[in-house]
Amino acid sequence: MAGTMSSIATDGRRTSSLVSSSAQPTRWAWLLLPGSIFLVVLFVVPLTGLLLLAFGMPNWTLANFSRIGDTPVYLTVMRNTLEISLTVTALAFVLSYPIAYALTNAGTALRTVLLIGVVLPYFTSTLVRTFAWIVLLGRNGVVNQFLLEIGWASQPVTMLYNRFGVILGMTHIVMPMMILPMYTVMSSIDPKLMRAARANGASPLAAFLTIFLPLSLPGLIAGVLLVFIYCLGFYITPALMGGLSDVMITMAISSQILEQLNWSFGAALSVVLLVAVLTTLWVGSRFFPIEQLLGFSDGKAGSNRGRRQMGAQLLLRIGSTANALDRWFPSMGGRTVPILASFLAVLLLLPVGIVVYLSFSASSYFVFPLPGYSLRNYEAFLFDALWVRATFTSIRIALMAVCMAIALGAMLAFGLSRGAMPGRGALVALLLSPIIMPTVIVAVATYFLLARFGLQGTEFGLALGHAVHAIPYVVVIVVANLRDLNPSYERAARSLGAGSWATFRTIVAPLVMPALIVAAFFAFLASFDDVVYVLFLGIGKITTLPMRMWEGIRQDISPTIAAVATLQMLFATTVIVVGTLLRRKKTT
Amino acid sequence: MLMKATVSGTEVRTGGITLHNLQKRYGSAVAVDDVSLSVSPGEFISLLGPSGSGKTTTLMMIAGFEMPDSGQVLLDDKDITRLPPHRRELGVIFQNYALFPHMTVAENVAYPLRMRRMAKAEIETRVRRILDQVHLGALASRYPHQMSGGQQQRVAIARALVFDPPVLLLDEPLGALDKKLREHLRNEIKTLHKEVGKTMIYVTHDQDEALAMSDRVAVMHEGRIRQVSAPKDVYRWPADLFVAGFVGEVNLIPIMLKSGTVHGPAGEILPAPSWQDVDRDATLCVRPEHLHLEVSAGSSDGIQGRISGMTFVGDATIFEFRSEAGLQLLSKVLNVSAKRMPEVGDPCVASWAANDATILTE
Repeated sequence: MAGTMSSIATDGRRTSSLVSSSAQPTRWAWLLLPGSIFLVVLFVVPLTGLLLLAFGMPNWTLANFSRIGDTPVYLTVMRNTLEISLTVTALAFVLSYPIAYALTNAGTALRTVLLIGVVLPYFTSTLVRTFAWIVLLGRNGVVNQFLLEIGWASQPVTMLYNRFGVILGMTHIVMPMMILPMYTVMSSIDPKLMRAARANGASPLAAFLTIFLPLSLPGLIAGVLLVFIYCLGFYITPALMGGLSDVMITMAISSQILEQLNWSFGAALSVVLLVAVLTTLWVGSRFFPIEQLLGFSDGKAGSNRGRRQMGAQLLLRIGSTANALDRWFPSMGGRTVPILASFLAVLLLLPVGIVVYLSFSASSYFVFPLPGYSLRNYEAFLFDALWVRATFTSIRIALMAVCMAIALGAMLAFGLSRGAMPGRGALVALLLSPIIMPTVIVAVATYFLLARFGLQGTEFGLALGHAVHAIPYVVVIVVANLRDLNPSYERAARSLGAGSWATFRTIVAPLVMPALIVAAFFAFLASFDDVVYVLFLGIGKITTLPMRMWEGIRQDISPTIAAVATLQMLFATTVIVVGTLLRRKKTT
Repeated sequence: MLMKATVSGTEVRTGGITLHNLQKRYGSAVAVDDVSLSVSPGEFISLLGPSGSGKTTTLMMIAGFEMPDSGQVLLDDKDITRLPPHRRELGVIFQNYALFPHMTVAENVAYPLRMRRMAKAEIETRVRRILDQVHLGALASRYPHQMSGGQQQRVAIARALVFDPPVLLLDEPLGALDKKLREHLRNEIKTLHKEVGKTMIYVTHDQDEALAMSDRVAVMHEGRIRQVSAPKDVYRWPADLFVAGFVGEVNLIPIMLKSGTVHGPAGEILPAPSWQDVDRDATLCVRPEHLHLEVSAGSSDGIQGRISGMTFVGDATIFEFRSEAGLQLLSKVLNVSAKRMPEVGDPCVASWAANDATILTE
């Protein structure tokens, strides 16, 4: 792990814009202490424990690993994981590129539509979106009802609980994750460069191939990397939508730990997954500074020119060939991309849209189209003691997690932005790893640690896990905001007679407050939507709202879940809107 | 320093640009309104105007990045209005240069030739030759971000010239640079123009740049061309109040034209050139360096008042003058030694030579 992270760490130091890399820690650096200790105790220690457990500590052995290698079932599991992850990544890439491209180059109206199509699903919980697909693809699902209606099928088509369903569902869920880094990089490309290419004799296609594509490459690599890693450690969707022959490694881990109670073997499987993820990251970090894809630095990616040079040369050759074609096909492209992108964005929104629609059903089954509108599903949610109790449990845990994550995350953000210290890069890597690491691994590792202190199955223990997961989001949001916070404001305040505390209270705190509120909302959402941590840390004793949905989806797919899902989406939408408004208010 | 233009007597020079009634709207806003302009081959012309005056839109219509709603763009009598930008064969130098960040200097300069599918050996020869001409031969394998602003400009020039276009379009190339460097690069562009003899259309909001570099200046405002003249004439004979105020400092004096004489705000007779005999209100333009302040209250034509302030600006002193009627005027006096300067508070008469003033009727 140290090897991988050190390559990220050097990039972190190189690109930190606010801090001159002096070796002496400054006073601000003390703020890093509490958060770092928290992450070491609840993230590094558990992962180390997981490693030791896998190797049979204190009786060192490789038995667990040789068992994985010897059992055909686990080799199949690994092949499944790899096949599904590769397919989903490739599919998501192909479908995401036109959207990201249109998002960058379209007019305001289309861009708004596309952004909603990307951002709304992104902030809708994975569980809700998986539920949407189950409702759509089931034997009596919306798609089958539609196919039977128009006579394209004489009997229901099996689309769920097989490879097709998993790949479709997963692709839909990871697409925003692919689009956003692509879009970030594409939108930073100076449009004048494309004009310069055209002025120098390149046709639209040639300009795209020789200028835009190579410059957007870092974003493409980042998106592919993020999505592939996420797929390797994906649990919810494969577990709910996959068939018996599509077991992925995360499902094997959870079955070993939760059902077979074979901890050391489960730990060994987790280590295999961990190694796969770290290898991917290591390979990826040779092409792209990892922390940049999380919005952590604005530095230019440019350390691997030599390697990228070959690709650029090839594109240049293809581009100049394409230029010759231009004589024969004067107008290519044009409206195709925006139309394709809008179509894809509608597809992105469609599943969640249908869930919202079905939640207002007057029937107690999913019938499409609705026999009539009613609020009965919402009543069923609000007047059911179990649902209500689960909601309050979720809120309690989320609030605890938010308090911890905000306090520690804000201090870390200030320390990172303002403090100088040796080993800053390593710290950045540590901070960001909880969102890069598969949740299943972290949850399993945390479970082993909490079990030692009897904290498994307690709400506080669960909140600790959620806080580890939320801290990176808080840090990223607040650091981005602090970068905008011009130090000259503080100098101005000091010159006008404010002491350091008064400066903080009157200048820094009010300016950072919107970011803190936004960060708190996102931390809340991260905890509120989580299933994986609850599965492992709750040990069946804690039923949060998503947990109850999870159980509901596995047992009977009642329309009440659609109502709950709609309410969750409403909450997520509110968070996005409030976040956007707060940011806008700051800039005006 | 740069390419030698071979202008023999018999050769027909190319690179004339003609704009016929160009019109461009964005929604209800008119960006370019009925712009007509004829640029002869080898001419250096500036489009000068404040931001939003339509000068960049006009240039982008010549380059082909904007499509006019109506009107025509001609290159040597060939209609290129509908031609896509990559077939126009015009060199463009963009603001901040738009050098491709993922390509070296040599690759940047080779780009237009590669897009024209030229033979590899030919490309190499041409790139080497032009890079030597702009003194960048040693830096061919550098990336743009490793170069200074001045070097970047030379790369941009090399890239725009390497395919030998008849016309060079420059979109505020000096916009983002500091003053010293701007003046240096301004001279470099001017020298370049002399050497390569190409038509240059130069967009800028900086009047000093426009006056110093151009054969002619087209002053634009609110989408229209207000005046096209040689720099000297634009300065000396502004066509309207906007041009007078935008190009250089100017004193604007409200006047009344009455049967052969010009009357100032207080009814005094003022020195002014002769005009067609119409009685009306008008404005008299006098440049500060043409406005003299006479301390002894003589009998000459002029405006009575006092000196209300003065500012030392190095080579000259700017006097602020306030007339009895409250009119504020500026007078610029060169700081020549042994010349007695008036003091603040001195009563005096502001006057000028009749031929140095311009009457504007709007």
